[in-house]
Amino acid sequence: MKRRTDRLSVPELAGFSAVTLAVLCLCVCMGSVKVPLGATLAVFRDEIGALLGLAERPAGLEASIIWSVRLPRVLCVAVTGASLALAGAAMQGLLKNPLADGSTLGVSSGAALGAVCAIAFGITFPGLPFAGTMVTAVIFAFLSLLVILSLAYGLDDSLSANTVILIGVIFSMFASSLTSIIVTFAADRIRHITFWTMGSLSGSNYRNALVLAISFAVFGGMIFASGRELNAFAVGEENARNIGVNVRRVRLLILVAASGLIGVCVSVGGCIGFVGLVTPHIVRMVSGPNHRRLLPACALGGASFLMLADLAARMILNPVELPIGVVTSLVGAVVFVVIFYRSRKRG
Amino acid sequence: MKNQKLMTALAAVVLACAVTACRGTSQTQQDAAITVTDMLGREITLEEPADRVVALTPSDCEILYAIGAGDTLVGRGQYCDYPAEVSEVPAVQSGSETNIEEILALDPQILIMSTMSQTEEQAAQLEEAGIQVVISDAQDIDGVYTAIEMIGKLMGKDQEAAAVVNDMKTTFARIEADASGDGSETIYFEVSPLEYGLWTAGSHTFMDEAAQMIGLTNCFADVEGWGEISEEQVLERDPDYIMTITMYYGEGPTPEEEIAGRPGWENVTAVKNGAILNLTDDELSRPAPRLTEGVKKLYDFVYGENAEE
Repeated sequence: MKRRTDRLSVPELAGFSAVTLAVLCLCVCMGSVKVPLGATLAVFRDEIGALLGLAERPAGLEASIIWSVRLPRVLCVAVTGASLALAGAAMQGLLKNPLADGSTLGVSSGAALGAVCAIAFGITFPGLPFAGTMVTAVIFAFLSLLVILSLAYGLDDSLSANTVILIGVIFSMFASSLTSIIVTFAADRIRHITFWTMGSLSGSNYRNALVLAISFAVFGGMIFASGRELNAFAVGEENARNIGVNVRRVRLLILVAASGLIGVCVSVGGCIGFVGLVTPHIVRMVSGPNHRRLLPACALGGASFLMLADLAARMILNPVELPIGVVTSLVGAVVFVVIFYRSRKRG
Repeated sequence: MKNQKLMTALAAVVLACAVTACRGTSQTQQDAAITVTDMLGREITLEEPADRVVALTPSDCEILYAIGAGDTLVGRGQYCDYPAEVSEVPAVQSGSETNIEEILALDPQILIMSTMSQTEEQAAQLEEAGIQVVISDAQDIDGVYTAIEMIGKLMGKDQEAAAVVNDMKTTFARIEADASGDGSETIYFEVSPLEYGLWTAGSHTFMDEAAQMIGLTNCFADVEGWGEISEEQVLERDPDYIMTITMYYGEGPTPEEEIAGRPGWENVTAVKNGAILNLTDDELSRPAPRLTEGVKKLYDFVYGENAEE
């Protein structure tokens, strides 16, 4: 058996980062409108020069497309992918459940319900137009997780994989039907809501990217810091307790962090399925199951996966765009079946 | 000779009788029954002009009011909102939530609906339940004329319908003659704002037809029907005019301001010239007589200032 270090070694981390960075460059250079590589580089040179106060901001079509439209979107997609994958990996570890993910547990639907409530009932915070949907989405995501897990605990103490997923699916349907009810009653804003639930990262701006990055830093940081505890949970909750992990505190921490990540992502980009479910499984084949290695690798892998999915969504039917969720579900479902089948056959 | 004369006279009488008889029967047939081919090519026969109608599609409600048959409406689809008095008519669910029992309870002679919001299976199901379904399915302005004439005939309002169609034709012809554009300037129709993904109206839409009529080119004519398009493409195609149908709820920036404030859009010709129009009353989205109003507004928006000079 290959020996693995407890953390990602420097070359490994460099390798993962290099792949992610390469994907990022690819996604910035390719798009619906063809911009030559030289022009793209020139835009970057000039814009960074302008930021440093060395030059005027460049004008023109290419600068608009690369700097104002494509780069912020790619950044948003990357951080969304990283957040969702990280949340997925953390929940899979915490619940010892290979099928756990924001979408299978019903957390995404809960977050979407929260955001829809905010849109339909006009919940806003003065001065912060976007905060209303975001805060309600995060709160609803957390409450959903609490409800799902308490119901699951009530049914069976060991929190078996099937029980949690079953309750998650039921809750997901429940939240979706509540969303439909609200959509039915909020007739004048119906167009807003229906387009929003389809999920779209088009039109992302730097402010969205900043919000996502802050959420990733705060909530993601909480998860990164719990790598050792997640390893203990992955063996079993009893084991975690025995080796001195404060089970209640860590569980709450992870749940808050995962709902924070998912809630913010849903409020910015709608429901994007399968990233959080599939990425940890793919990454685990390279990094191994140790969470201290898996978590950073997952964040980078999730970013790459979602950036590539978004690139496909932007390019395949040019000039028409596909919803990004369609691409992730299509690719994710196939990959997942392959992984599931292979692991079952082996095991 | 005598015989021959007699025969001729007799023949003339017989012929005359036959002609009158023919005319007589055709007259009564026309009085008694109306036969119409709906826009799915199905024959519909009514014994008399309809006076209890349910219309599920907003455009069909608008047509009924335009030809003066609004008082026959006993039910309307939930999204029918024009003219204002239509809101007094009981609303029924439409689209995928169409509720057959609700419609049966209103006991209409005919149910008018489009294929856009209903499926053919739903139509068949409604007919099995004993409701006479009429499909109006206008895909272009000529189709709207057909729909108006068809509904007019069903309601026994042929003349009113013909007048509405004539009005529309005259208005369009006048605008087309006045419009000086040669198709070199472009317009971008925004159906859904950036926040929810940009959707535009491509070729074979009423907006596209309106653009052609006033001498503009739809910059997304290569997209068929409605489609979600890439923001980069809008910047590259650099439209001279932008028309949005985003609703404004009275908070935050107006749709025009929102478009003008998008990062990267400052170089778009329409944004530079402030040539952004917000059309919020569905004038160019519904196959109804109000299309003329939409085209007029678009014309005034493009040529208005020049015309005043």
